[in-house]
Amino acid sequence: MTPSKDSFRSEFPIFRERPRLIYLDSAATSQKPQVVLDAERNYYETFNSNIHRSAHFLAEEATIAYEETRLAAADFIGAHSKHEIVFTRNATESINLVARSFGDAFLDAGDEVLLTLMEHHSNIVPWLQLKERKGIQVNYIDVDPEGRLIFDESKITPRTKLVSISGMSNILGTIPNLKPIIEAAHKVGAKVLVDACQLAVHAPINVQELEADFVVMSAHKMYGPTGVGILYGKKELLDQMPPFMGGGEMIQEVFKDHFTAAEAPHKFEAGTPNIAGIVTMKAALNFLSERRDSFYSHEDELTNYALEKLKTLPYLRLIGPKDMEARGPIISFTMEGVHPHDIAEGLSQKQICIRAGHHCGQILMDRMNLPATARISLAPYNTKEDIDSAIHALEEVYLYFSS
Amino acid sequence: MDIYAQSILDRYKKPFHKGKKIDATISHEEANHSCGDVVKLELEIKNDRLTGYSFSGNGCAISQAATDMLGDLTQNMNIEEIRTLSKEEIYEMLGIEISIRRSKCALLSLLALQNALLKNQNTPSRSWSAYHL
Repeated sequence: MTPSKDSFRSEFPIFRERPRLIYLDSAATSQKPQVVLDAERNYYETFNSNIHRSAHFLAEEATIAYEETRLAAADFIGAHSKHEIVFTRNATESINLVARSFGDAFLDAGDEVLLTLMEHHSNIVPWLQLKERKGIQVNYIDVDPEGRLIFDESKITPRTKLVSISGMSNILGTIPNLKPIIEAAHKVGAKVLVDACQLAVHAPINVQELEADFVVMSAHKMYGPTGVGILYGKKELLDQMPPFMGGGEMIQEVFKDHFTAAEAPHKFEAGTPNIAGIVTMKAALNFLSERRDSFYSHEDELTNYALEKLKTLPYLRLIGPKDMEARGPIISFTMEGVHPHDIAEGLSQKQICIRAGHHCGQILMDRMNLPATARISLAPYNTKEDIDSAIHALEEVYLYFSS
Repeated sequence: MDIYAQSILDRYKKPFHKGKKIDATISHEEANHSCGDVVKLELEIKNDRLTGYSFSGNGCAISQAATDMLGDLTQNMNIEEIRTLSKEEIYEMLGIEISIRRSKCALLSLLALQNALLKNQNTPSRSWSAYHL
């Protein structure tokens, strides 16, 4: 049975603890439902143990639970097999893993990595570091004033080895049409990484339909715990890639002067991982999967409502798409004569959490000639009343600074 | 709504030292990119004293008001005294409670001023850690 909209909020204990809280910063991290908190507690209380190595029943239980999350993650994104799922600390580490392993092994000086101007710093800096190490070139797909990608195939050249692109902008909410970009990349033999940090919680992803080579996600933005990242990689790619970090678990054999690596995905999971977090992530994936359709429609309804309300304030400027076409529940804006930090401070006094700053997207800010924006991001536990309260507070902030 | 003290708001809206014409001998800019705050100081130094202070900048009310108020505080101050100004003295000057999340807003102009002087003396510049941030 699909839970009703009103029950969404009641599943998140933080709103019971803080009844006045209006949380409009879910793009930074989502709140956690009771089932996720219970799962973590249950792990520590009933089967806490180290995985894969210890020869006892408790370790086996922990290992089974850990591997069940791998299967759940594979199912969640339509991966061919669970061996295509690597657990990391966060999406940033997932991208760094690809840059260090795939990048160092298969890219040479003069090869090109194509990004977009609306990437998060975590999908820019690892490629700039690869540029420093190997002399590759980093190119960008431009955005128009509405925050839509301006893609033409000439951006992809015979030297393009990787296209790394966000599935949904964390600043503008834009959801680019990935399919033509992925097809054009594959035509020249380039691989494609999709940064699905924002997308994964707001829209279905099927890696096989998309034909993405790598997909990265962050559990904490998907109702899961912090400290868990997911990297999907096509099996044949993961098999060819050298290990990332060295240590326990990632090896097959170790000798005094050399080692042999374990098979993927284990060769990328050196050291004791965040077992509790990864075990808990299964509960978050189930929670989201069970409510998908109702969550998506509620988010759309809220986003549309917020856009219409924000448009009624003449001193606000929406940054990014102003309609519902191919966008998610993230809305950036600026206020005439008021710095985004002051907007956030005013709202914070009313227990309303929004984000202000460059949102780890300095090159997009520069492109749009903005020092910073204020950002509202919505989740199913939000209500129209939350948006009304935010609008009212924005009116007060403007009055405070303009009178 | 009452976000900041009236004194801060007044200074933000009507700064004394912003864009003031002075015979600057040194200038220095500091930015807090994650917030989008920037201040550029123009300074006139005579006989080891700060005799002229002007700024341009962009940012939140606290960063811009603090930059303006710092001009009053340091007027005719000895260079050595400015170099030893502390975070606490800036908070006292502002006269409002500064939360951790706003500390860089409050201290951006102090960082700019102290680094301007350090640069002028060919001494290594300071970073936020100088204020235990």
